[in-house]
Amino acid sequence: MSLKKTVEKKDFWKNLKEYYNDPAVLKAKANEFADGVTDEFNPDTLNTVSRRRFIALLSASAAFAATACSDYQDKGEIIPYTKRPEGVLPGKPNFYATIVNGKSVLVRVREGRPINIEGNPDHPIYMGKIDAQSPAVLLNLYDPERLKEPYKKKRKIDWEKADSEILDLLGEAVVKNKEIAIITDRIASPATLKLINNFKEKFPTTKWYSYQSSGDENKRIAWQSSYGSRNVPSIKLDKAQIILSLESDFLGREGNTIENTRLFTQRKDVMNSNNFNRLYSVEGAMSLTGINSDYRIRLRADAQLEFVLSLLNEIVLKKNVQQITLTASIKSLISKYQLKNFINKYKLDSIKINYLVDDLVKYQGQSIVLAGEILPVDVHSAVIMLNEVLGNSALYDYNSVNLDFHPMSTSDELKGLVSSASKGNIGVLINFGINPIFNMPKELGLEEAFQKIPNTISIVESENETSDKSTYTLAASNELESWGDNYVRSDIYELQQPLIAPIFNTRQKENILLTWINGSAEAYSMDAIHHFVMENFKDIYNLQNSPVDFKSYWYNALHDGFVKVIPSAQIKYSFNQSSFDKISSTETTSEYLVQLQKSYFIGDGKFANNGWLQEIPHPVSKVAWDNYAALSPNSAKELGVENNDYVKVVVNGKFLEIPVMLQPGMADKLLSIELGYGRTVIGDAGKNSGFNAVVLMSGTEVSNYLLTNAAVTKPGGSYKLVSTQEHHPLDDNSVKDFHKIRKIIQEGTVEEYKKNSKFLHEDEHNLIGITREHKYEGVKWGMSIDLNKCTSCASCVTSCNVENNIPVVGKDQVANGREMHWIRIDRYYSGTPDDPEVSGQPMLCQHCDNAPCENVCPVNATNHSPDGLNQMAYNRCVGTRYCANNCPYKVRRFNFYNFRDHFADAYYENELTSLVNNPEVTVRSRGVMEKCTFCVQRIMEARETAIAEGRELKGSDVKTACQSACPADAIVFGDTNDKESKISKYREHELGYHVLEELYVKPNVTYLAKLRNTHSEEA
Amino acid sequence: MKKTVLDYTLKFRLPLILFIAAAAFVVTFYISRAERDGVGYKPLQPINYSHKLHAGEMGIDCQYCHVGVTKGRHALVPSVNICMNCHSVARKDKPEIIKLTKYYEEGNPIPWKRIHKVPEYAYFNHSVHVNKGIDCESCHGNVREMEEVSQIKPFTMTACLDCHRNPQEKLPYLKNVKVGPENCAACHR
Repeated sequence: MSLKKTVEKKDFWKNLKEYYNDPAVLKAKANEFADGVTDEFNPDTLNTVSRRRFIALLSASAAFAATACSDYQDKGEIIPYTKRPEGVLPGKPNFYATIVNGKSVLVRVREGRPINIEGNPDHPIYMGKIDAQSPAVLLNLYDPERLKEPYKKKRKIDWEKADSEILDLLGEAVVKNKEIAIITDRIASPATLKLINNFKEKFPTTKWYSYQSSGDENKRIAWQSSYGSRNVPSIKLDKAQIILSLESDFLGREGNTIENTRLFTQRKDVMNSNNFNRLYSVEGAMSLTGINSDYRIRLRADAQLEFVLSLLNEIVLKKNVQQITLTASIKSLISKYQLKNFINKYKLDSIKINYLVDDLVKYQGQSIVLAGEILPVDVHSAVIMLNEVLGNSALYDYNSVNLDFHPMSTSDELKGLVSSASKGNIGVLINFGINPIFNMPKELGLEEAFQKIPNTISIVESENETSDKSTYTLAASNELESWGDNYVRSDIYELQQPLIAPIFNTRQKENILLTWINGSAEAYSMDAIHHFVMENFKDIYNLQNSPVDFKSYWYNALHDGFVKVIPSAQIKYSFNQSSFDKISSTETTSEYLVQLQKSYFIGDGKFANNGWLQEIPHPVSKVAWDNYAALSPNSAKELGVENNDYVKVVVNGKFLEIPVMLQPGMADKLLSIELGYGRTVIGDAGKNSGFNAVVLMSGTEVSNYLLTNAAVTKPGGSYKLVSTQEHHPLDDNSVKDFHKIRKIIQEGTVEEYKKNSKFLHEDEHNLIGITREHKYEGVKWGMSIDLNKCTSCASCVTSCNVENNIPVVGKDQVANGREMHWIRIDRYYSGTPDDPEVSGQPMLCQHCDNAPCENVCPVNATNHSPDGLNQMAYNRCVGTRYCANNCPYKVRRFNFYNFRDHFADAYYENELTSLVNNPEVTVRSRGVMEKCTFCVQRIMEARETAIAEGRELKGSDVKTACQSACPADAIVFGDTNDKESKISKYREHELGYHVLEELYVKPNVTYLAKLRNTHSEEA
Repeated sequence: MKKTVLDYTLKFRLPLILFIAAAAFVVTFYISRAERDGVGYKPLQPINYSHKLHAGEMGIDCQYCHVGVTKGRHALVPSVNICMNCHSVARKDKPEIIKLTKYYEEGNPIPWKRIHKVPEYAYFNHSVHVNKGIDCESCHGNVREMEEVSQIKPFTMTACLDCHRNPQEKLPYLKNVKVGPENCAACHR
């Protein structure tokens, strides 16, 4: 059938209520703002001075001023540098490469203060791209509640005193043969590793523990037993024709998102539609990877092992595919698992599974199976086997291996720590920058053990649950104030340099260790760690046979942020089948399964006090500021719960009460909960956000994220989760006969596109406008967004926030629909709630040629520029909100308050946090409308450069913040008058369309329709 | 007919009051205009520096000190190390130079009083103007003649637009000059 029909038939729905045509939602959609948006907006309550009185005062003061107007207004002072540092020109940014959040980045610095973080463009892995988390680290640097100096038992202490006391304690512990425990996160820095080893040498009773609440430990253990190495090669995802993701969120939560997204979306390029890859996603919860899949199969995570074994059975025994010869014992093991039985048992869609098997068989050596980080070791081993059988190990890139320097502590080791603590065998415990009391399973009893350790030291950036219980709390510097290095991939060695001197009386945590190693409090100098990192770097220099001297090599490396390491000839690991014999699959039960997952944005709780990150809506559910238990609508019906109702989850005697969110596409009898929320010792921004699911974790197996046999009941009561999705109903259903032609999302399949490339525009007709047309001479700005590439990762949202001084509004205001993001990612469901198809769409100001907002502004504050921008003059805006009313895309944002002042008692309104603002962009105040400007400040910067160079401005000179962040390269920006430009090619592309085209507002943002790479028989 | 108090008030008193008020307003408005726009503003500077001496008599180029003017938004008031390029040797005995040296040696910045200021919501950029060939004098007056610098021209939106709209007339020395941008985003963002 023609694609047109399938497109039109699709009823896109945005949430479950809408799917059932809830009258309340229908009513809400008819209104401009959701209920409550304009509530509490009573001017009388805002100010005790009435309008009349205010005007009286105003005129009185004006009269008074007039009489006093005998002198000039003072214009303040200009304070120049006394000695201007070389290369610093006030008003011009400098860029420095460093490491932030484990990624090599380029930091924009103005007059010595970091104001923006972007990807490092020269870096072969990141290629100038960035994830959603890293740019927001700036807010941690300027967090008003950072620790500003060291404390001992909550009282201020100076560094020298603290250091000498601690040195005495360490010495004493060694003399008395008591253990010194040091707990760290996973360490990827060779310099820090060397420091820890030096520390162990200096204080021989030291024992090193490492812990993280989520990570790829299971995968590395599996690789260790199958290949004898924990260094996992990277995957040439761009070479994969078929990708099977088993609960693996490789585009979202799991590490290396930036590269994965880039490589994955390289094969989603509409300019080369013969080259599309196909993603199968088999998962229980709805992940970012799942919503981007071509086929999605619902399966609880505890059935994954059985699934992989059944696949092996089908592929090896039935289809007789054997790129490697399997031993008889393995064959007999897998012979027990029949795929057919498996399909029947879990009521899976056999058509999809057959496609999957056929594809895997057909594309041997060109496909890859990925297992999720939360899956147990056995599944990882089975997946390794499956990839070997299919010959997919050809996609392993041994030239760029994910290095691993140390295994994480096992539960037994952590138990050992706790038991020696309770026996009084631990003299000193050092918490090296993490939060183990919050993140470790409560069962281990670390919190109780803390009281039995005489001296506990936390080196942390801001107070947390662990530092709260520590004797010494030492204020650590932010990453942007630190020296360091990273050796994540075998071919790239990265360097970190400070961008700003420590703002407060803090010290870098590595430097604190260094002082102790050097053995005296006086040994500290801010530069010591600099020299240490540099000395350590000599190891790399010596290996490289570089023709230049070390100093030049070091400065070059610092400048670039990384050096390419010539890899020692990497040999393919040999595969050891015997590890597979140990695999045994356990029967899945009919009880609930709880699946603990990493949070998309706030990490393990480390970023819980970061308002920017808390306010980015979850990529799938669009819930902000909280975590929740995601539950399938069927299971919810069974439990009798609705959205926001509490459920009580009991696992092995541990329990948690948490509100539920009905998530279409979830497997039944499954709760998916994110970790990192529910912090208690935290600043004002992160207070009361979410629920701590760590309490459910088992102490016997620290990297077990699947908790079986959970009892779930309805205890009564409800909570209020806020999400941004319902706020902007792009009304389609309410205008029943119109929705078919309201092509907000347009989609097709690859096959049908190949058959008829013009399918999107077949029933187009000429539109007539009533507004005056603009003439565009010179540059005309336009943007295109490729929905094939966009994964809804929200990197653009953070980058826009940082670039454009977007305020944090807080949970209560998000509930009122007053979030201020200039770019949002809309998510639409189509199909059934059990098995929905998901479409994401970044939505921002469309800079319409015939902008409806412009006509209705009574003060002409918003109007059109000759280069095609819909411009907004804040100082002219009087706040009628007519423009927002008249905008069909709902992208205009109104400052109902001065949000910096309003959020959490003016949390972000202080001298320190003001430093985060981009000086090139106005900080908007109350009563003003705002929206996306296409980063006009960047356009102006490019124009300035063009004028200085005496040439015309070109479209390629400008990159908007969202564009430069996008790891998928989905956003293209440029001059649409230049017919040779990339943007023109996308605008003219057959798949290009405008949202609500028939309104004839002539938007300048072109969307490229998504093509799903499904099998043609299905359509 | 008897003249009442009301008659008198209506015929003479009220019009007179209104006239005086209006006249006072008009006179004040025009007389105070320069002050409101800051024209003629000549604050007392921390160091008695003479542009007339440096730029005029000695003919030092503006850009020797105002290094940012072709490179970025700010022309930049020179950092003290630029002054010290000469004054670590020249005229070390003069009281003003002693003051200057003290600032430099103690590492204290000099709190120069600001004379020219574009409103905060406007993003003025020196380099785009200077690189198009517009000279400093067009906005700042002939600084070479000024013992102490004062503001010569208003820095209002009207003043900006005047020139943006009629560059041929306002900047006759520039041949082939095109009109400046007039859209909001040219200055406001």
